[in-house]
Amino acid sequence: MLTILALASVILLGIVPQQSEGIVIYTGWERHALVGSDIRLSCSFFSWRWTSDDVTFSWSYRSDGARDAISIFHYTGGAPYVDNKGPFRDRLEFVGNPGRRDGSILLKNLDYGDNGTFTCDAKNPPDIVGRASSVRLLVFEKVPIQAGVITGSIIGAVLGLLLLIVVIYYFMRFLVARRVFNLSVSKHGKKGKGKEGSQQRQ
Amino acid sequence: MLVILTFILLFHVISAILLFISTINNAWWVASAPGGSVIYTDLWYSCNVTCLPVKNSASTDAVYLQAVQATMILSTILCCVGFFVFILQLFRLKQGERFVFTAIIQLLAGLCVMIGASIYTAEREGFTEESLRKGGYGSSYVLAWISFPMTVVSGLMYLVLRKRK
Repeated sequence: MLTILALASVILLGIVPQQSEGIVIYTGWERHALVGSDIRLSCSFFSWRWTSDDVTFSWSYRSDGARDAISIFHYTGGAPYVDNKGPFRDRLEFVGNPGRRDGSILLKNLDYGDNGTFTCDAKNPPDIVGRASSVRLLVFEKVPIQAGVITGSIIGAVLGLLLLIVVIYYFMRFLVARRVFNLSVSKHGKKGKGKEGSQQRQ
Repeated sequence: MLVILTFILLFHVISAILLFISTINNAWWVASAPGGSVIYTDLWYSCNVTCLPVKNSASTDAVYLQAVQATMILSTILCCVGFFVFILQLFRLKQGERFVFTAIIQLLAGLCVMIGASIYTAEREGFTEESLRKGGYGSSYVLAWISFPMTVVSGLMYLVLRKRK
């Protein structure tokens, strides 16, 4: 009994430290937006520890043509610090809720130059070991048609038409057959009555 | 009878296979890029060593490309459906009747291939991007044109064939 207890405690002690390390950060994979619109980039994390008061979020941005990333947002010590010198000055707003593990930012008035990769890194002391997560932003002039909408509609329309033609054909055949059947029944009925009448008179 | 049956079935299956290869393999157009590399492109991806989706294929600029995709897929579907309808009619038809339904489906498939290949030939310049304009037609394009007479001949054969015991 004691040995089982000892074994269980050793196993638990072995598991828990591993679980308390490792923060997992979630952002989207890709975001599409129209020129001039606003977009909310979401970032949240999973951690085995309670959300500490020293939780930090930081966003960095790497433009499509650039080699390095620049930092555009940092939340620490309970206060957000937005970009006031870089490409997003006066266009960035913090709309997250760190108490709820949400570190989302709002980008306003998008332009083609904002195409690029946004990386969110969150730390929840003492849980600090984790991999930052990136989301790509694509800015369009007008919303593109979903791939294959025209293709799918052509295929669907033609197949539907063919199916309709086949159904109508078989339905017509069924109607004609029924009409022929009714006619032949009435003919037989008249002939039978006529014969009986003539026989009765005789 | 059995010999004729196997021959017709084989013909149908071969035309279906040609349609599948032509639709799926991305080699309708072989472009020689300025870097010296050869790029196989259309209908779905542009491939060299890596495959990228055909540029702009999801916008209204590439309406004709989407139409070609649609007709090629339609013809493949119709060919497969015709195969099953032929098997069905083989067991359901009375003696001496022709396989009209199967013939109609096969002829429609041939019509779709013709429409698709013709649209591609006529409008290719419109939806190919600048760097890929120079080049020649690829193997899938040739296969598509070959499968057109094959499906038409197959359909005509079904029209002529009568069910025997």
